[in-house]
Amino acid sequence: MAKHDTPLLDELEKGPWPSFVTDMKRQAETHPECWDILGQLELSYKDKITHWKHGGIVGVFGYGGGIVGRYSDVPHRFPGVEHFHTVRIAQPSGLYYSTKNLRGLMDLWDKYGSGMTNMHGSTGDMIFLGTRTENLEPLFWDLTHNLEQDLGGSGSNLRTPSCCLGESRCEWACYDTQDVCHHLTMHYQDEIHRPAFPYKFKFKFSGCPNDCVASIARSDFALIGTWKDDIRINQAAVKEYIAGNYPSNAGAHAGRDWGKFDIKKEVIDLCPTGCMWMEGGELKIDNAECTRCMHCINVMPRALKPGKEKGATICIGAKAPILDGAQFATMVIPFIEVSKENEYENVIDVIEQVWDWWMEVGKNRERVGETMQRIGLPNFLRVMEIEATPQHVREPRSNPYVFWREEEVEGGWERDVVAFRKKHAA
Amino acid sequence: MAMSVEEVEAAMIEKATKSPKAQLYIKDFYECDSERGPRDIKNIANGLVKKGQMMFWSSGSTTMYALPSRIKNEEGAEGVN
Repeated sequence: MAKHDTPLLDELEKGPWPSFVTDMKRQAETHPECWDILGQLELSYKDKITHWKHGGIVGVFGYGGGIVGRYSDVPHRFPGVEHFHTVRIAQPSGLYYSTKNLRGLMDLWDKYGSGMTNMHGSTGDMIFLGTRTENLEPLFWDLTHNLEQDLGGSGSNLRTPSCCLGESRCEWACYDTQDVCHHLTMHYQDEIHRPAFPYKFKFKFSGCPNDCVASIARSDFALIGTWKDDIRINQAAVKEYIAGNYPSNAGAHAGRDWGKFDIKKEVIDLCPTGCMWMEGGELKIDNAECTRCMHCINVMPRALKPGKEKGATICIGAKAPILDGAQFATMVIPFIEVSKENEYENVIDVIEQVWDWWMEVGKNRERVGETMQRIGLPNFLRVMEIEATPQHVREPRSNPYVFWREEEVEGGWERDVVAFRKKHAA
Repeated sequence: MAMSVEEVEAAMIEKATKSPKAQLYIKDFYECDSERGPRDIKNIANGLVKKGQMMFWSSGSTTMYALPSRIKNEEGAEGVN
């Protein structure tokens, strides 16, 4: 039976879609504290303000992340959510869970928490919502000792790295995303579990430019698989697509009749750089103009494949809107080799070059993308010791001033004043 | 002459004691030894937490440092960490 009247929340159960209110009511049958979440949320709807307090000092011994303190500011009315801390559980690479592992995690959370979860948070962690301070250490012990799983990152830490499923399932993966993700997770344990930076920092690893983990939009450091050479074309398969013998998009949109496949309309005219055309019955690509958008490969996967010389592009500085607006990451390094043989040393070198600079120059609560924006891309490229290329230019300049550096000017700032004055009176 | 780790720790605790704010960002401690890099300072600050002389306070998105004597948790007792 309902502990609180929730007429406003009840409205959210009336649509045709699944309702979190219904889920929480069902959960309240076994975890009565969930009634108090509903009660407090109803009050927030009435008051038009949150009733959660912000932050706290809770955590587990030795860790400076993974637990987010949350307290009700009306605990006398809703004692079940007096403490309602969030626990972030590191997800397996590529989100491969066994059902045994999932059952173990759910049993753990039923024992120590509200049983409510968020699968997954935007960083990628599995989020356990709602427990009390005294449950944190026993939960952490069971998680690490019985399930051999760890807490994720929070606060000003390196957040839990996340990756797409990469080479385990996907023929387009240009590097082993799961291995890089695992390697860097182990390499940076200190940065994940203890605060290190002016603000949060996120890694995400996508095996190809389809970017299934949205690294370009949601990570400070995005490693996106790409290739250096030409897209591989199977001209016989192109003809099969044109003849309608192969389903476009591997049949992904086969639920309705889209009419006959039209390679001009569905592929060539949609190429963002216009670098494709048909000639003598064959598909041609000017690969120098290709921006790796993946559209043609997605539409005709049996005819087109990424090139053979594979690696990754590094994009830096994406973020959600907190201090400033949301922004995509900026392409900084067009191509880098990603090699297990050198334990990803060249990727690690880039990461640490960014960190060393950002830890020094970044302001409190400033994401690396905001620091880049503040100092400007030319200065950031100088920090990274990268020569600017046309691909770094996003738009024509709007600032009419040109600032020269001493090394860019013949003779530098030193000059013979006597010789100068012979031609130019003071 | 470069400051020893113990001297930097003492400077950090003094700063956390005298600061009008109970909670400090890691960057607030950089000036405790300007010859050390940010990573060194971070490691020393986290070492103080490990020894129980400093505590983390986290909003969930940002982490700050505070002396246990200057910060209480919401239950009214000094925290864990």
